[in-house]
Amino acid sequence: MIRRPISGQYATVLSLIAIALLIAGYTWLSHRQHQRNPDDTTIPSWKQLAGGVRQAVEVNKRSGERWLVEDLKASGFRLACGLFSGIAAAVALGMFMGCYTPAEAFFHPPLALLAQSPPTAALAVFFVLAGTGDPMFVSMIGFGILPALAMSVFLAVKEFPEELQFKAYTLGASHLEVIWSVLFQHVLPKLLDAIRLCIGPAMVYLIAAEMVVGDVGFGYRIRLQSKLLNMSVVYPYLALLAGFGFFADWGLRWLRRTWCPWFEGHRG
Amino acid sequence: MKHKPFIQTRRWNHPIVAAAACTLALVGCGPKEAAPSGGTPSAANPADAVIATPPGTPTFSLAWSEYPSWSVFGVAHAFKLVDGAKGKMGPVEQKWSVDIELKEAEYDPCLQMYGAGNCDAVCITTMDALNPALSRPSVVILPTSTSFGADALLVTDAIKSVQDLKGRKVYGLGKSVSEYCFVRNLEAMGEREKDYNFSNMDPGAAAVALQQKQPGIDAILVWNPFVLETLNKRKDVRVLFDSTKIPGEIVDTVTMAQASLEKSGGANFACAIADTFYIVNKRMEDPATRNDTLIALGEKFSHLDVESMKKVVDQTRFYSTPKSGLEVLNAAGTKETMKKVVEFCVAKEITSKAPTIGYGNSSSAPGALRFDPSFIQRLINDTK
Repeated sequence: MIRRPISGQYATVLSLIAIALLIAGYTWLSHRQHQRNPDDTTIPSWKQLAGGVRQAVEVNKRSGERWLVEDLKASGFRLACGLFSGIAAAVALGMFMGCYTPAEAFFHPPLALLAQSPPTAALAVFFVLAGTGDPMFVSMIGFGILPALAMSVFLAVKEFPEELQFKAYTLGASHLEVIWSVLFQHVLPKLLDAIRLCIGPAMVYLIAAEMVVGDVGFGYRIRLQSKLLNMSVVYPYLALLAGFGFFADWGLRWLRRTWCPWFEGHRG
Repeated sequence: MKHKPFIQTRRWNHPIVAAAACTLALVGCGPKEAAPSGGTPSAANPADAVIATPPGTPTFSLAWSEYPSWSVFGVAHAFKLVDGAKGKMGPVEQKWSVDIELKEAEYDPCLQMYGAGNCDAVCITTMDALNPALSRPSVVILPTSTSFGADALLVTDAIKSVQDLKGRKVYGLGKSVSEYCFVRNLEAMGEREKDYNFSNMDPGAAAVALQQKQPGIDAILVWNPFVLETLNKRKDVRVLFDSTKIPGEIVDTVTMAQASLEKSGGANFACAIADTFYIVNKRMEDPATRNDTLIALGEKFSHLDVESMKKVVDQTRFYSTPKSGLEVLNAAGTKETMKKVVEFCVAKEITSKAPTIGYGNSSSAPGALRFDPSFIQRLINDTK
């Protein structure tokens, strides 16, 4: 029978098997490559990977800095600023469009178009418009996630049942109170879900831009070390990115559960 | 490091061009080992020049990226001297009894492809060849060109002398020939590298930033076509110094894995690559075919016109004859240069350790990276 629920224990065992298979598959690939060429660095062994991790976290002799710390600071700052500005603008714009029909008529066409334009393809346009410093990274992430996120907020407002809106007015709420206490509360869990989907693209935009113009950051390090065939540094960096994406997703789900418990029940 | 725009393999079906290409393919003699196909076919029709690879013929692959002296291989495919597809052989391939598979990609993926053992040979600078050689012993089989002005430091009016660069960022691709060119020029001027700040940026982005007069961007070290394009678009920008001060230090090559060379037909492949390179160079030197070949060479390199392309190939000096190629591989100066390059790469952590460098054939000069003139020599001997 399809869609039959399974026990938590069974699900955990299956998850562990999947991860073990992934690790075993990599170990086999690396072993095969090292049999072909014992000095290979493109599919590093676990020992080589440990060396790569050390290289990333130890103080670099030449620069006197820890790569990982510097890259985390740079990329973290850019990603945080980009996400924050993108989310803030998307919430404001989405709510405005959802609440006021003229705003919807004005903003909807350009947003619907921009939502289909991949920012990585417009990389050169961002260099031209926003320079090559931090403002470029931030604007690329911000504008990258803005259209899709604003549309999500807008659609969430639009689907809000009209009778509940009238009920709030009947109870004496002002326009602002309806927007903040009723509409926004309805939008919030959907906004959190939309942000979850935006984390991945935001990282793609950041890494792509850093690969081209960064002199520090995850994208810069990954490109440089890939070129130098130092994959023992590249793979741990990729694992960190994956880990960040995973925990960001988990954190947002936790926030949704905590802030919007009613929504969990609503979802069944 | 060179970095070129992505292009797809070109095809040129003009019958006159193809006939000329086939005629040129006949220049030179056959290899020492007799070709199973029985020599070079003479075909007026380009379709006849390319045959299906006979069974048992070894196949070797060359990863190349768009750059003046490396696009020669793309041009050779377009002129049907060789057929870059696996399973098809052009006249030069038939002459040497090897099937050459051309794999075109951006420069960085070419390096990764070579490092991972997914191609037999790669178009690479001597500087970038050090690192893969540590894990995959390699042989420089053919020097293709050297930068002679193709890498240049472009500055605005704000920079009157090299001292004015102190306290400012100089943008260019880090840990590449750009940074090498910068550091070596500073040394030549008696300046200390630590007084200057070289900051990583893609050359294309750096060129756009300078062309746009973005604040804080007053000095960039980039290569062609970005040098010529920027100079064309911004008249107040000038060259402060360039790679003419370090002739022969930034060398573009075709480098092959030692293990591939040792395979049956490996040496023939090396000779075929050199043969192809010199045939296209002859076309470029012949006044009757020069412009035509230059246009083909620069087709996707940039939107520079023929006159600018002439400048490009002047600033990227081709080792256009077997004699000039041999001189590079045999010159005492090459050893001195490589010492500097290795020191630079170790100091900048481009390589984790210095690879051993050999000069000569595999028995007389073992090394992780070996400059081997024997394939060009064999080509010369066979041509006599």
